[in-house]
Amino acid sequence: METRIFSVFLILLGCLLPAFAQQVPPLVVEPEVDRRQINDADIDTEDFEVGLFYGQISIEDFSNSSVTGLTLAYHITENIFMEASYGQADAGLTSFEQLSGGAPFLTDDEREYRYYDLGIGYNFNGEVFVKEGWALNSDFYLMVGGGSTDFGGDNHFTLSLGGGYRLFLTDYLALRLDVRDHIFSSEIIGEKKDTHNIHYSLGASWFF
Amino acid sequence: MPFKVFVFFFFYLLLQSPIWAAELSVKVVEPFADMRTGPASEYPVFHVVERGEQIEVLKQRTSWYKVRTATGQEGWISVDALAQTIGPNNEPVAIARSDFAQYQQRDFEFGLFYGQLEKTNAFSVTAAWVLTENIVTELSFTQALGDFSENRLWLARVQHFMFPEWRLSPYLSLGAGQVRTKPNATLVQSGSETRTSDVMEVGFGLRYYLLENFVARLEYKNLLALTDRDEQEELNEWKLGFSVFF
Repeated sequence: METRIFSVFLILLGCLLPAFAQQVPPLVVEPEVDRRQINDADIDTEDFEVGLFYGQISIEDFSNSSVTGLTLAYHITENIFMEASYGQADAGLTSFEQLSGGAPFLTDDEREYRYYDLGIGYNFNGEVFVKEGWALNSDFYLMVGGGSTDFGGDNHFTLSLGGGYRLFLTDYLALRLDVRDHIFSSEIIGEKKDTHNIHYSLGASWFF
Repeated sequence: MPFKVFVFFFFYLLLQSPIWAAELSVKVVEPFADMRTGPASEYPVFHVVERGEQIEVLKQRTSWYKVRTATGQEGWISVDALAQTIGPNNEPVAIARSDFAQYQQRDFEFGLFYGQLEKTNAFSVTAAWVLTENIVTELSFTQALGDFSENRLWLARVQHFMFPEWRLSPYLSLGAGQVRTKPNATLVQSGSETRTSDVMEVGFGLRYYLLENFVARLEYKNLLALTDRDEQEELNEWKLGFSVFF
């Protein structure tokens, strides 16, 4: 008797169970994954360039001197960049001072040549083929800028024109050759005139 | 046996872990993406990444991205190509492109200006902090080098952009600061000396969004120097410059 009741119970259960099971909402596993947005802010950017240079400057009327300086550039596009540079040199003697042996025109302080320059440049990108199967990236650039030169006891407004060449040893390390003409008007040795102070330099720069 | 299972799970988790799952690994979904030897369109295409290939993004310079393919090839792809890739969860890659919309969201702006301050050559550097769409606060330093004297101006100003949504947009500015006038060496002997006075300015400008994060600006300013002498000095200044924003 008990077995019969039990089997009826089982049959009923058997009939109900599928119906019951259908009422259970399907089990959905929500993956516990942070839908992380891939963002380019995570990528290391290298738009700034800092550099050091050493070279020669011909200070008009005051012979040649060595010049050292540093540069900081920001690359806006693949072609356009802005650059601030600072350089210093100590001017030599004028030919007159050398020949006459008389009193110097300028004091040692006034002979210190210091300039800063803010400019904009345009890159012409290219490659150098060192040998078969080995090329280095490079660019040739033209620059125009302005700034101030502290020389002979005064600051002079200075226009800088020039260009240069960057040779990329790696993505972030470049060798630079720069030629610049710093033009300012001066009346240090008498009448007022525009002086051209041409400098060339070799340097290295680091992109970060 | 448990050890092997452990090792399997360890590597499985390692590969799944977000730390190791190459963070900036993206998949090319366009038919192809050009890979160049350098970060500029002038550099030659030396490799083509095919659809479905996974590439790892290493670094960025201007609008170029250095990437590495699964086979180890390294090269540069353009921002346009990267914008058409997808991430590990098939989500598009979000690229904060420097465009005009981005300009309107800027926080900081740095500028370089060349101009004429009362017929002397003047150079200015500026740093600006954007308060709202319309209002920008700016600090500037100007060095004006003339035949007789050198002027240095420090100014703080507030600019109001009436129509910030226009690409070419006018603005008004009001500022205050100080001017330091130093006579040139040849004049020092004649008795002139360096003096500092407060200065106020009112200005009008036009800015034009050029490209990327590059903006051109043209400004006219009328400055009033409150001197110790009997009369005040009025100065006019024209400036043209460029600024970059972040």
